[in-house]
Amino acid sequence: MKNVHITLILLLFTATSIIAQQTERFIKCHVKAVPFSEFCKTISDQSSVKIYFNEEWVLNLKVTLDNDSITATEAVREALKGTGLSVSAWNGNLVVMPGEPLMAALPDYNFRKEIKIAAEDNSESITSSEERYMEGRKGDIPLTLIIGFKNGPFSGGKAKISGRILDGETGAPIYSATIYISETHTGAVSDINGFVSLMLKPGNYIATFEYLGYEKRKYQLNVLSDGDFAVSMNKSMIQMTEVVVYGDRQMNMRSKDPGLDKMSIKAIRELPMMMGERDILKVSATLPGIVSVGEGSAGLNVRGGGSDQNAFYINKIPVYNTSHLFGFFPAFNSDIIKDFSIYKGHIPAQYGGHLSSVFNIVTRQGNRKHFTAKGGISPITGNLVIEGPLKKDTCSIMLSARSSYSDWILKKVKDPDIRNSSAGFNDFSGGITYDVLKTQLSLFAYHSSDRFRLAEFNSYQYANNGMSASAGHRFGSSVRAELSLIGSQYTFSTVDKQEESSAFEHAYKMEHYETRLDFKHSISEKNSLEYGLSSILYKLDRGKVLPYGENSYHKKVELGTEQGLESAVYISDMYDVLPWLNLTAGFRYALYMPIGPEAVYNYQPGAAIDIINITDTLTFSGNKPIRKYFQPDLRIAINIKTDDNGSVKLAFNQMHQNLFMLNTTTAIAPNTQWKLADYHLLPSTSKQYSAGVFRTFAEYGLEGSAEIFYKQTRNFPEFKDGADFLNNPLVETAVLQGDQTAWGLEFFMKRSVRKLEGWLSYTYSRSKIKVDGGEEWNRINGGETYPANFDIPHSLNLVMNYHVTRRVIFATIITYQKGKPVTYPVSVYYVNNLPVLDYSKRNAYRIPDYFRTDLSVTIEGNLRKKKPLHSSVIMSLYNATGRPNPYSVFYRTENGSIRSYRYAVIGVPIFTVTWLFKLGNYAAE
Amino acid sequence: MQRSRAFFLLVMNTATTTSCLKRFDPHIDSRDIVKYVITGQVIKGEQIQHINISKTAALSDPWYEYKVPVTGCSVIIIDNKGNMYSAWDMQDGNYNVYIPENYINIGSAFKVAIFIANEGNEEVGEQIVSDYDTIQECADVDSVYYKVDQLPSPDPYTIIRGLRFYCDINAKNSDCRNFRWEATETWEYHAIFADDYSRKVCWTTGRIKDIFTLSTRNLSKNKFEGYPFHFVDNYSSQRLMYGYSLLIQQYSLSDPAYQYWENIRINNVDLGGMYEKQPLRIKGIMYNVSDTSRQVLGFFGASDMKSKRIFVKKVSDLIIKYLDCEPVQLPGKPANKCIDCLSAGGANVKPDFWPY
Repeated sequence: MKNVHITLILLLFTATSIIAQQTERFIKCHVKAVPFSEFCKTISDQSSVKIYFNEEWVLNLKVTLDNDSITATEAVREALKGTGLSVSAWNGNLVVMPGEPLMAALPDYNFRKEIKIAAEDNSESITSSEERYMEGRKGDIPLTLIIGFKNGPFSGGKAKISGRILDGETGAPIYSATIYISETHTGAVSDINGFVSLMLKPGNYIATFEYLGYEKRKYQLNVLSDGDFAVSMNKSMIQMTEVVVYGDRQMNMRSKDPGLDKMSIKAIRELPMMMGERDILKVSATLPGIVSVGEGSAGLNVRGGGSDQNAFYINKIPVYNTSHLFGFFPAFNSDIIKDFSIYKGHIPAQYGGHLSSVFNIVTRQGNRKHFTAKGGISPITGNLVIEGPLKKDTCSIMLSARSSYSDWILKKVKDPDIRNSSAGFNDFSGGITYDVLKTQLSLFAYHSSDRFRLAEFNSYQYANNGMSASAGHRFGSSVRAELSLIGSQYTFSTVDKQEESSAFEHAYKMEHYETRLDFKHSISEKNSLEYGLSSILYKLDRGKVLPYGENSYHKKVELGTEQGLESAVYISDMYDVLPWLNLTAGFRYALYMPIGPEAVYNYQPGAAIDIINITDTLTFSGNKPIRKYFQPDLRIAINIKTDDNGSVKLAFNQMHQNLFMLNTTTAIAPNTQWKLADYHLLPSTSKQYSAGVFRTFAEYGLEGSAEIFYKQTRNFPEFKDGADFLNNPLVETAVLQGDQTAWGLEFFMKRSVRKLEGWLSYTYSRSKIKVDGGEEWNRINGGETYPANFDIPHSLNLVMNYHVTRRVIFATIITYQKGKPVTYPVSVYYVNNLPVLDYSKRNAYRIPDYFRTDLSVTIEGNLRKKKPLHSSVIMSLYNATGRPNPYSVFYRTENGSIRSYRYAVIGVPIFTVTWLFKLGNYAAE
Repeated sequence: MQRSRAFFLLVMNTATTTSCLKRFDPHIDSRDIVKYVITGQVIKGEQIQHINISKTAALSDPWYEYKVPVTGCSVIIIDNKGNMYSAWDMQDGNYNVYIPENYINIGSAFKVAIFIANEGNEEVGEQIVSDYDTIQECADVDSVYYKVDQLPSPDPYTIIRGLRFYCDINAKNSDCRNFRWEATETWEYHAIFADDYSRKVCWTTGRIKDIFTLSTRNLSKNKFEGYPFHFVDNYSSQRLMYGYSLLIQQYSLSDPAYQYWENIRINNVDLGGMYEKQPLRIKGIMYNVSDTSRQVLGFFGASDMKSKRIFVKKVSDLIIKYLDCEPVQLPGKPANKCIDCLSAGGANVKPDFWPY
């Protein structure tokens, strides 16, 4: 290839004008099954036209031609028919090359080519994207892919084609890349392993491959029979495309999932950061329908749902605590994230167990070509990622580590209690991927941990551990199966020694073991089927509360252990009913069983669920089901293409949730326990109806959408006032279950692949709760409907990136939110001469609105080609206006008088500088 | 638990030195219905029992600090044996009831029935009754003591030193596991530039305006060491200069009574911050019989009470820094507390418990 390349280029440089006479002279040609080279010799002999070609391309080509009067060009063209090669006339000679014939005029090639040739020998280590970066953008030359072989098998008039889309540089599969066949107006999206399936009649097609941040590729697809192909795509060197929140331009148009938001991790890199830590979860809160619980606190509310209604997965491992340091930072190293998807409308049938959303993180696989490293340092943490091949092109490894390196900030504080405190966190992950032809094996492990000690008063520790192993194989060209084994563990421990006499320690552990088998089956070009089964065993040890220290009289409380088994089967079919109508129908059927050993209390019917009303005890022995909950979920999405630029999507989604957070606060505390649905605590169920309009305005580089949703949840658990989960093992006595209703409207407008790009989102959303069991004891707020703590009607976000040059990027995030609901006191009275407040109905008021502006400048290192290390500096200014956004407003009685306070987590602008580095130059990956 | 969360906050606040806690007055349009508030208790060992009837005041009302008394009501205390004791209307919202000492015993239960006077009308208005509350025996106050302590101040270079007071409970042989304390301080202070001794040395007494409650239900023993009371600093008053006396009154509480006081305490102190919770819905044990939909606030309880007084004079490792005096009465200024101790609100009569 290389030789031809050089020949070609040299040839181009000598060409100053086009002389076509020789090539257009008529000749006689009579050959029968001769090799191409011999055929060329025949032509050259007659016409003195030279034919340039690469031996490899025409190795097995036999030419048969019988013509008395044909031009040399025509003859060669005839000979090359069906090979994907073309012939062009140059300087009186002929050139054979793949793809379309060359234009009559010189393409706009860069003169630096010469330099490149000279440098060729010693630049083996340059990756292809670096090479392209040095060269500039190439012309759009379609190449040919030949699929199958002549007279090969295909059935029903169509050939089954299975392809694989890989990153040309690292060899990693590309997830969600699209292939589009312009002749048939059909397409496909690659799966997590880069596989795509198509059904096409034998013939020639133009196939376009696209993926965000990658160069678009066009191929001539020459379909002969059933067969495979592999395409590698290269990263786009136009930095601008790297900052789009995911969205392949066809995504909005072609995706069948309403309510799916995709984010590219590169989108986040240049955005302003809080304390220099990139936080994908906080950035996701700028998308429509997602709001953050608050600054510095963990938890997201999606479409009016509670913060425990979101599922987080990292390579299939469920993560039950997604934050470091109480919520200030995410528990994931963003350098390892390859793909981050959020499902909030139509949730695919393979997912279950959480009502509101699925946040799915897929990490990068290690570089398959060479070893490399990248990392960064912020005021709080340092992180490093090392990756490379264990066996070139087939097996790669990636290791990442991130740790807070010092709690120096605490030491700066004068207060002795705080100066004597310590805090720290870290996370590690490692993955090995083995990928050969149709089989992929992968192993991934994840660990994150946090510790915090406050002087001599308290200490907290929590950790996530997880491991997943997957084996995938492709059977034939239409079925792919994947078997996964997943284990995850979440633990925390607390010591509270504030008061010596009541000091205690508590440790909690939750384990999740999952086996799943998933199939993907392309039945025809219009119909693809996914099905599978999964089984999850939850083991919770809610722990013991034990006295801490010799002088503690704290009572021993055994919160108990519990187990649950959630088994599910699912099937989902995506069918193009009409060219403009696509239907996705999924059905998931789960059986959830809390299982023994456990002692369950019965309470007097009609009376409050309270210890005093216990009538008898049911004892369940080990692994015996305590109750069976059958949970059918229907997931339907209809996608109607209205015209080339727009579509309408409708969806109906049913979900069940069997795992809850025992939390009476808005934010997720580091010692929040998860609890399984059991004999008394019923699983929650929800139904969501959504409809959306999606449009692209290609001439402005804009994409927009408007969606509405209505979601109804039954058995939503609300905890009674003053619920105590540390001294009461019987959760049922502290919980009431009611109805939650959420509805809203979401607007989204995104501009991409421009110097100035970003997105604007606006959400109107309400969330109301009603807990009315009919009696005073099973009502909250007197049985009246009240706004949920996370009922935020208006939320507006603007995210913008401006690329001044390739090395300087400005970015900004502007956020506005209506204040959270709050219960304010309305009147005051005196008890024993102390003022006491009488509060309004629950959440009848709102705290002041939230507004924040963040700014950042990213400065990339120089663009020199040969350097061992490329680095960039990101300066962020968080909360540039310094507005002290109230997190909470509350009242306190101090020395007999009532004071109202406003608490802001971040009350001033915060400036941070982060340094990032990677081995290689600007373009290295 | 709550306190630890408050500390969390403190740390995060100061750690990032960016967060802030500021005074803030949200605009609240409070025209909720005015509710009746009944407070009172029967205390074993006292002859006169006090009941107070008032109304809630809107928080936006600038005069809310003055209670809204309800007078002219008919108040009766009823015990579980059927004895009734009626009250005198003191015309300021207070109602006093005499119950002979031998009718108040451990295990006796009391409730209150109130007939609200209908304003400008002869008819009897709304009727309010409480549940019975039973007197639990209160263990003795084991000990009351202090320790030299320091508090962080907003200025990182200043540490506030002073005394924090504590009590211990050791009620091994008692069934009552719920406690409430009232702390009353008395201190001697001087007007250092006074000419006359009667204007120079005074004493003043005040309740510590905090709610102190504890339950040992979650402890394995009915025992607690170091229950913290208030903090007295060494610079803002003369409290620790000449003599300081603290009276701790310990009340036994039934479970509903404890729940009531604990909820009030949480609502008054422990709200807000990063892990903020909904204010608790305080459910007393008072009912409006005439109109059950109208909530009645407050609590009527019956308790046993034990007390202990300690006296503090000259703490060896604490320097008192109070210095704030103008030697002369400046024209136009309020009465000078350095010349006349009575002008600071105390009395120049030595309390009878004063040890010297």
